[in-house]
Amino acid sequence: MEAVDKLKPEIARLIAAKEQRRHKLAALSFPEKVRIVVQLQRMVAPVLRARGRPARVWRLTGD
Amino acid sequence: MEKTLEILNALERDGLLVRYAIGGAMAATFYVEPVLTFDLDVFVILPQAAGLLLTLAPLYDALRARGYTEEGECVNIEGVPVQFLPAHNALLEEALAEARETSYGATATRVLRAEHLAAIAVQTGRDKDRERVRLLLEQAPLDGEYLRAVLARHNLEARWKQWTS
Repeated sequence: MEAVDKLKPEIARLIAAKEQRRHKLAALSFPEKVRIVVQLQRMVAPVLRARGRPARVWRLTGD
Repeated sequence: MEKTLEILNALERDGLLVRYAIGGAMAATFYVEPVLTFDLDVFVILPQAAGLLLTLAPLYDALRARGYTEEGECVNIEGVPVQFLPAHNALLEEALAEARETSYGATATRVLRAEHLAAIAVQTGRDKDRERVRLLLEQAPLDGEYLRAVLARHNLEARWKQWTS
């Protein structure tokens, strides 16, 4: 129990940092966010394809 | 995506669309942290065809003539699968009329207001829509008064309360 209590401030700090990062991401420009969405697509597409679901990564032109 | 938006603007200029605005996950991404999606939902008001029938066929024909091919429910426009969704109810018509004018790089475009995205999510009512409402509440700059009026106009207050209480 004592070990868990010692962990709590560290976990709270990590959660706060994560929250801060999400708000920073929300504040990015639209084109920057779209680039991140495409990165997410690249990460997720192979997993979806392996499950037999079609997933096409956007091929951005002119951005 | 900028070229995709240029094509959407050209379709509107040419009268194949009366008006368009980005909706769905990409519109949510405009207001909140990036949300994974594989297609670009574009809400549209279509010109009234003869016989009062609303059809996407002339739009698809025009896109095919420009070399853009259909992929399932979408049309691949400059590398982005675009799903055209005709505004089929009063909420969507209002959302399109009041969509936010913005720009993507040097290209003008429109994105549905965050309040309308929240109301549309409530109206659609799936689990992922509930998650979208949570995200919009947490991160989007929602105008509370405006949102309340939208929810009231479209009889969505009960589910809103259920989802957010």
